Amino acid sequence: MRSASDPASLRAARWGLLAVAAALVFTFPVLAPNAYILSAGVVVANYAVLATSWNFMGGFTGYISLGHAAYFGLGAYGTGLLVTKADVPSFLALVLSGAIVAVLAVPIGIAALRVRGASFVIVSIALVLILLLVFQSWSSFTGGSNGLNVPRPFPDLLRPEHHLVFYYLFAGLLCLALLTWWAVDRSRFGMGLKAIREDEDKAQSLGVPTFLYKLVAFVVSATFTALGGGLYALWFGDLDPIFQFSILVGSYMVLMALLGGIRNLFGPLVGAVIVGSALEYFKLEFGDTQFHLVAAGLLLALVVLFMPDGVLPFIGDQLRRLGPGQSSIREVSAGELLEQNASRGDLPGQGDGVEGRAAPAPSEVTR
Amino acid sequence: MTSPHLVFQSLVLGVLLGGLYALLAAGLTLYFGVMRVVMIAHSAFLILAAYLAWWFHDRTGIDPLLSLAVTVPLFFVAGVLMQRLLIRRLSPVTLTMMSVLLTFAIALVIEGLLGYVFSGTQRRVQLGYSGSSFEVLGARVAVVKLIAFGLAVVALLGLYLLLKRSRLGQALRATIQHRDAAALVGIDTDRVAGYGFGLGLATAAVGGTALALDSTIYPSLHWHWIGPLMAIIVVGGLGSVPGAAIAAMALGILQSLLQLEMGTTWAQTVFYVALFATLMVRPQGFFGGRLAQRF
Amino acid sequence: MSAGQLSAEAVAGRAVEPGLQATGLTKSYGGVCAVNDASVTFHHGRVNALIGPNGSGKTTFFNCATGMIRPDSGQVTYRGRDITRWAPHRVAAAGIGRSFQLCRVFPRMTVLENVLVAARARSLRTLLGGAYDRELVDRARGWLARVGLDHVEALEARNLSYGQQKLLELAGVLMADPETILLDEPAGGVNPALIGRIGTLVRELNAEGKTFLIVEHNMEMVMSLSDHVVVFDRGRPIAEGPPWSVQADPRVLEAYLGV
Repeated sequence: MRSASDPASLRAARWGLLAVAAALVFTFPVLAPNAYILSAGVVVANYAVLATSWNFMGGFTGYISLGHAAYFGLGAYGTGLLVTKADVPSFLALVLSGAIVAVLAVPIGIAALRVRGASFVIVSIALVLILLLVFQSWSSFTGGSNGLNVPRPFPDLLRPEHHLVFYYLFAGLLCLALLTWWAVDRSRFGMGLKAIREDEDKAQSLGVPTFLYKLVAFVVSATFTALGGGLYALWFGDLDPIFQFSILVGSYMVLMALLGGIRNLFGPLVGAVIVGSALEYFKLEFGDTQFHLVAAGLLLALVVLFMPDGVLPFIGDQLRRLGPGQSSIREVSAGELLEQNASRGDLPGQGDGVEGRAAPAPSEVTR
Repeated sequence: MTSPHLVFQSLVLGVLLGGLYALLAAGLTLYFGVMRVVMIAHSAFLILAAYLAWWFHDRTGIDPLLSLAVTVPLFFVAGVLMQRLLIRRLSPVTLTMMSVLLTFAIALVIEGLLGYVFSGTQRRVQLGYSGSSFEVLGARVAVVKLIAFGLAVVALLGLYLLLKRSRLGQALRATIQHRDAAALVGIDTDRVAGYGFGLGLATAAVGGTALALDSTIYPSLHWHWIGPLMAIIVVGGLGSVPGAAIAAMALGILQSLLQLEMGTTWAQTVFYVALFATLMVRPQGFFGGRLAQRF
Repeated sequence: MSAGQLSAEAVAGRAVEPGLQATGLTKSYGGVCAVNDASVTFHHGRVNALIGPNGSGKTTFFNCATGMIRPDSGQVTYRGRDITRWAPHRVAAAGIGRSFQLCRVFPRMTVLENVLVAARARSLRTLLGGAYDRELVDRARGWLARVGLDHVEALEARNLSYGQQKLLELAGVLMADPETILLDEPAGGVNPALIGRIGTLVRELNAEGKTFLIVEHNMEMVMSLSDHVVVFDRGRPIAEGPPWSVQADPRVLEAYLGV
């Protein structure tokens, strides 16, 4: 991401890796031995879309939402209801419900973003709980706990073909989300968002309209999540409030993004592949026990405690340390810079840096 | 139209419910006060305590109230340990966000383990006096509800006295108000924060036992509690114990009254409506202020 | 205004134009008045200093003026424009940049990024355009060179020493191209040589047309650097004038010595 300081060889390696990963993603349906594995692939792709969407908010601004299942559910039900109640064509319904969620996210965001940190998380959780209540109770409209059947967009397709088509649809949506994230990451807008993550007051004093930035990131994040939900509705065809508005789905998004690394473009995707596959495996091996809750909880705790930056930066550091001279250039140069920095001290040209380095850093003490 | 008789009945039930909310919200406020931690697992511990009370009664046949003698000290120690071993490891810069995730993870583990050990079956304590009730001014009050309320009030009163009268309470209040200043006058704020966590979890133990008396419990029940409780502490102003208690009472009564017209499920939404309204009108909460503004 | 001040102006040969101005500004915290009915005028184009004993309300005044804190009452204007209760980013857009007392940088962003953040986007296109535009990066590097940090631009800011972080903060403020720069204790916690460097920078930038308002405890720096000094005590100004006259003012001595 900070390509400005990367040596050419590392960049080449990165492109190579990206090409291999993309090739794997696109040939997966061919390699998948049966329809079950293929459907698991669709689930993982869906998780990847959700985690990447979540990362527009969590990664850029550092505002952790535990309730993104709300937009997943709204997108899914929006699409499903538009198809069943208003006879809107499937994919138009998908886009429309994305737009509806974007509009809804504005007042929600205004309320949630007025306060920082803790209250934001509380609101995000509350939102899922309230929507669960509403969608369960309002059964005349939503079908309630009986669920909502969404007709398939391609009724003629057989099951494996259905999975195949949706695998590529999810992959396409994922590409769109990743591209958007990448574009934001390198823009001035993204720079402002990252500044908010680091120090919101300071960013504002430098002229970043923090509230507006946060709101835009929030709406974009909610909209992509809703599109992921809508696509899920069309793929799975059966919606139940308990699953659509589940705190657990929201926490999976956080876990995946955090595990992969929220500062990285591909972090949430990697996290989704790891956690998603593990979840599917668990379901296959242990059936429907409560064990996946324990596993998800333990994993989340471990990541928060020991790897808050995620596996990608962690692995990256290890690789650079182990790798041959070529790939470790950046590390060396950073180390050299530090050294150089120490020897030149605070005042290049004046040669007096000792006191400056020894000076206390009250900013750390007071936090 | 509902009769005034029914309204009075709901009012009484609302007060009884509000007492329990107030106790639990006070616990949440303690964690937030001492460490700036939003403890999502609070209600999971509540359900855990309820399960322990049920299990205790199921195994021994002794009144579940007696399980308090074990669960309260146990939860206190668990709280201290949790603060020492887990929360304190987090980087102070990102503490608020990361602690939410960590306590969320703990809640998931507790829910999962409860489901694993006790299965997802709904459980209920059956006591000799479970069905009995009496009348006050025309309102019918179940004995178990009154006991639960009594427990909550006694615990809340105990907490209040502890905070106001004891040295620990003084240290706790100082830490809540200004951690750095408290450290400067010689208070070991880290240790005090640990005790704050212990006390918070002890309220969950009391609340859980009270809950077990008159409710059907199941592992995922804690989600139904955490939402309202979170709403209460935001409305009350994060970090203010009296604010949380007042908000708890007010919202508990409101919920109970709304149940008459709207039914139980829709009445629950009153908490979320209050939460959003508070954030729109007065984001620092109605009774706190100073602390909430920073978050 | 005192006669001494006017003559100092005449010597400097500059016209007096009000810059940042506060009228009856008040802010209290739970009964304690941090800023109490303060009316002050800082002049445009000069190096103004705001001094006073600890707890005299300097930083609170600073924060009220830049929108970080909402004052209870009173008015803040900048070059005739009412900016009372403006959000900090609007104050920044109006041409006022500021540093923080305890020096705040973005710890996990590189030194270069720390400066680039401050680049203002004037349209949606520039907002969504690249943050690493050649022109922008050149400008950012220019400011980094100016404060002497160009050799560490690729480091994350948290790896810098405290003194370097102060310089970095200044470079960020300058990148936003403000007319007026508010510095909260620029000399606090840094070594004497660096204080000298910051002083030189302030003088140079002032000659290039930047107005300064400096809150500072280091009297030597204040006296050698500023054209105009305002002394705060108990939340309001008690004296003002050129450094030499303030230094001799009995009220100032009283406030500092607590007689």
